[in-house]
Amino acid sequence: MIFGFDLGSRYVKLATLAEDSFNFYRYETIEFYKEFGRKEQDSLVIDFARLGFGETGKIISTGYGRNTVQIQGGQDIPEIKAHVYGARWQTGLEDFTLLDLGGQDSKVVLVRKGRLLDFQTNDKCAASSGRYLENMAAVLGITLEELSKYHEDPIDLSSTCAIFGESEIIGKIIEGHSIASLAAGVNYTIFKRIKPMLSQLLCDKIIFTGGVAHNGALKNIVEKEMQVEVIVPQYPQYNGAIGCCVYGGSLLE
Amino acid sequence: MEKIGITTTIPVEVIYAAGCIPVDLNNIFITAENPAALVEEAELAGYPRNICAWIKGIYTTVLANREIRRVIAVTQGDCSNTHALMETLHIQGIEIIPFAFPYDRDYDMLKLQIEKLMQVFGVDWEQVAEQKKRLDKVREKVWLLDEKTWRENSVSGFNNHLYQVMCSDFNGNPELFAQEVKAVLEKSTPLPAGDEIRLGYIGVPPIMTDLYEYLEKKGARVVFNEVQRQFTMPFATSDLVEQYRLYTYPYNIFWRLQDIAAEIEKRNLHGIIHYAQSFCYRHIQDLIIRKELKVPVLTLEGDRPVRLDARTKMRIDAFLDILR
Repeated sequence: MIFGFDLGSRYVKLATLAEDSFNFYRYETIEFYKEFGRKEQDSLVIDFARLGFGETGKIISTGYGRNTVQIQGGQDIPEIKAHVYGARWQTGLEDFTLLDLGGQDSKVVLVRKGRLLDFQTNDKCAASSGRYLENMAAVLGITLEELSKYHEDPIDLSSTCAIFGESEIIGKIIEGHSIASLAAGVNYTIFKRIKPMLSQLLCDKIIFTGGVAHNGALKNIVEKEMQVEVIVPQYPQYNGAIGCCVYGGSLLE
Repeated sequence: MEKIGITTTIPVEVIYAAGCIPVDLNNIFITAENPAALVEEAELAGYPRNICAWIKGIYTTVLANREIRRVIAVTQGDCSNTHALMETLHIQGIEIIPFAFPYDRDYDMLKLQIEKLMQVFGVDWEQVAEQKKRLDKVREKVWLLDEKTWRENSVSGFNNHLYQVMCSDFNGNPELFAQEVKAVLEKSTPLPAGDEIRLGYIGVPPIMTDLYEYLEKKGARVVFNEVQRQFTMPFATSDLVEQYRLYTYPYNIFWRLQDIAAEIEKRNLHGIIHYAQSFCYRHIQDLIIRKELKVPVLTLEGDRPVRLDARTKMRIDAFLDILR
C-alpha cells in the first residue's frame, strides 16, 4: 500500500493506493496532529493503527507543513511537484495551467509536456484562499455550499486585507444588497486576486484543484473572465495526496 | 577618528581621504545580536509597519551607536524612504550629508556630487586618488575571491556575498579586511564541477540570514551576487567619477540588466533568484527582469530579519525542481 499525505494548513488529506484503487480520508489539521501524531526527535510518527490501518507501506508526504514536520519512514516531495503529478494523473493532460487554491495557499503552475515550467504563489497574504471564503460565509451567515452558488451581479469589494474585507461587507449588508450579490462579490474578490498570476501563466486549459475548486461559482467566473476551459478533476481536494501516491508508485514515468 | 554612517555604497574614497571611518549602517544593523528587535523599536517610535525593514533597522542602529554623529544619505539612486529616515534622524540631532547619484548617469553631475562631498570633508582630488589606489588593491583581492567562486567553486555563495558586501565600507579598516580576504583565499580549494544547480542572486542583499545555506543544502550554489559584486567596483578604470558611473546599482534597471545578462552568460547560470524587499519600489522592476532575462527567475520577497519561512522554502524547492 502507498500512503500519500498532503499536510495542509486546514486539513490533512490522505490518499491510499492499493492494487490500482484509491481511498481518501480527510482530517482537521489540528485534530490530526493531536490524535494521530507524536513527535520523535525531528520527525512525526503517525499512529497508523489508530487511523484504522492494519498495515503500513510506502509513505510519501507533501504540503505546507512538510518543512517543519517530516513523517518518520517517509519521503517528502515539493508541494508543487505533488500537485502537478496529481493533476496529470487525474486528467490525463500534459499541457495545462494548474490553479490550486487551498486553505491558505494559492498557486498557479504552468505545465508543458508534463513538465513544470513556471509557477507563482501568493506570498505574504492569504486573502485569495479558502480561509477567506470560510470567514466571509460566516459573516454572511450562510454555508460554504450556499456561497459557492453565486457569480452574477457581484457587489464590488475593494479591501486588500481579508479582515478589513469583513467590515467592508458588513457595510454592504447594511446598504441592503441581496445575499446573491454579496456572495458573488466575495467569489469575484478571489478571482481578482489570482487574475495577475493566471494571466502570466495562462494556457488554453486550466485544471482547478484544492478545496476551493468545490466553489462552482468561482469556476464559472474563471471560465468567463479568462475565456478558457476550466477542468475540475474528480477529487480536487485530494489532488496533492493523489500526486504523492502517483509519485510513490511511479505511475507516470 | 570620526565614524561616518553611510546608508549605502557611496564614493568611500572621500571619507578615507579625510581620515574618517565609513560605517555601512546596513551591515551594523543586520549583524546586530537581534536585528528584529531594532526594527520593532523603530515601529514603537512611530515608523509604519508597511515600510521597508532596512530603513527601520538603520534608524534604530544610528540612535544606538552614539559615536555616529554624521550620516551620508543617498537621496537619489537608492531609496526615497531615505529622505524621511534622514528627517527623523535630523530631529534626533544627527547631521545629514546628502548624496545623489544622477538618474541619467551624467558625468558632470556625478562629478559635482563627489566634489560637494569632498568639500564637506575638506579633501582634494589628489588625496582622493591616493585612496582609490589604496582601496583598489583591496578590491583586487575580492575580485579574485569572486572569480574563485564561479570558476573553481572554491568559495561558497555565502562567503562570496559576505566579502563583497563588505566592500561598501571595507569594515572600517581596508588593510585588516584585506588580510581576512587573503585568509579565505588561502583556505579555498577548487572543487570538481558537480551536478549542482548554478544560481545567480540579483537585487539588494537578503534580509533573511539562511538563504545561501538552504540553497546549498538543496543542491544549488550561488555563483553570482549581483549588487554585492557591484559594491566591489569591478571596473578597470583609473577615473574615480567613471568608476561610480560604471557602478550599476543606483541607476536604471536596463543598465543593471546589461551587467546581469553578461554575467549569466559568462558564469553559465541556470537560473536567477530575484530578491525583493517588502514594500520596496524595486519590486515593480520584477516585471521587466522577468521579461528581459533568458533564464528562469524566482522572485523571493523578504520582510523582516528572520530565517526562511516554510512558504519561501516551498517556492525555492519548486524552482530548483524546474531547473533540474
